[in-house]
Amino acid sequence: MAGQTDPHISLFSPQEVEFMAEDELVQIVPNMNMEPLNFISGDFGRFVPQIPIEVPLWLAVALKRRGKCTFRPPGWLSVDNLTQILEAERESQSTFQALPFSYVEIARLLFDHARDDIPDMYMVRSLVEDIRDVRLHKLETNLGSFQGTSAVKISNVSAMEVNLVRPFVRRALEAFYKHDKPEADADRDTRSSRQPREANNEPRRPLRQR
Amino acid sequence: MANYYDIDDILIEEEFVPVLFHKPANGVTIDPSAETNCVEQGAKVELPFWLAHELHLRQAVSVTLPACFDQKTRLEIQADAACVDLRSRCPYFYEFGCKLQPLVTDRTLGILLSTAFKLRYKERLTKVYTAAHITASKFLPLLTKEETNLYEAAHLSMTAFKKWRTGGPRFQRASILGRKRKESY
Repeated sequence: MAGQTDPHISLFSPQEVEFMAEDELVQIVPNMNMEPLNFISGDFGRFVPQIPIEVPLWLAVALKRRGKCTFRPPGWLSVDNLTQILEAERESQSTFQALPFSYVEIARLLFDHARDDIPDMYMVRSLVEDIRDVRLHKLETNLGSFQGTSAVKISNVSAMEVNLVRPFVRRALEAFYKHDKPEADADRDTRSSRQPREANNEPRRPLRQR
Repeated sequence: MANYYDIDDILIEEEFVPVLFHKPANGVTIDPSAETNCVEQGAKVELPFWLAHELHLRQAVSVTLPACFDQKTRLEIQADAACVDLRSRCPYFYEFGCKLQPLVTDRTLGILLSTAFKLRYKERLTKVYTAAHITASKFLPLLTKEETNLYEAAHLSMTAFKKWRTGGPRFQRASILGRKRKESY
């Protein structure tokens, strides 16, 4: 019974999704001299004061906490861009705007640690929250349009949003799949018993209960 | 049988179905109120699903639809599927129906199940993420086991997300670190 396994299983917790987002690269401006750092994911540095450099978000946060750098907020995190995105999100009910895959987590980390480096911090923050709420509501409306399809395509959904609906969607699709199979069987059975010869030429017509 | 140790699977098979005996059976106490220990040919008895299933395989009985799939329920589901109290009828409405499907002659059962699920899914379950828990608790007692599981899956991930969003202690020191430092002083 696939639809009845433990409901508490969700593949990732929000904290884990945030952890993965910390590998995204961000631009920082260091204010100290430091030799290059050699990591498995690559080499970062050398760090020279006032020379912008791209580092993983976790490293940027660590340096920022020690007062060794300032953030350069990513281009999409500006009032103008976010206002545009919010407008577009509100206009279309079915499509999602292109945002970084982990925009929720990056925004959260930047708001927590780089408050002073983001211009119009409060405006930006409320815009990001609005966008997130609009998108979540839209995603939920989209879930209602499932009609037992086996494949669902929704593009531009971010990591946190996917993670949020994953347990629900997985189980819902399993249930749809389970209930669609008997319908198909019944359909075929009634057809083949009545008109075995013409069954192939007939256009497919799903049986509806009256 | 999907999973032998699945408790829900076991409970589904405990549900009673009305059967019609084609053969007389001696020495069985199926009906405790019967005078003799035998079942006549043509007797109508309610048996748990697992027993009915085995007897059906041996052509001893024919299975008829249990009360939770009767005409009245069907009419109610057609009228407003989302408001039907399926839990009181059968907490495992869908799974039980799926298991019954191959045993009964009624071909509309599968369609009934899938239509009911689709309608109820659309009406109720997709509002989980934004609806407040208070409004949800009104329809929770109407949901079957499977629907409750779906609802809980969504609700849990939403609470986890909200908890993460509002924050809290972000970095927790492992308890072992604190101890080591104290010892060194």
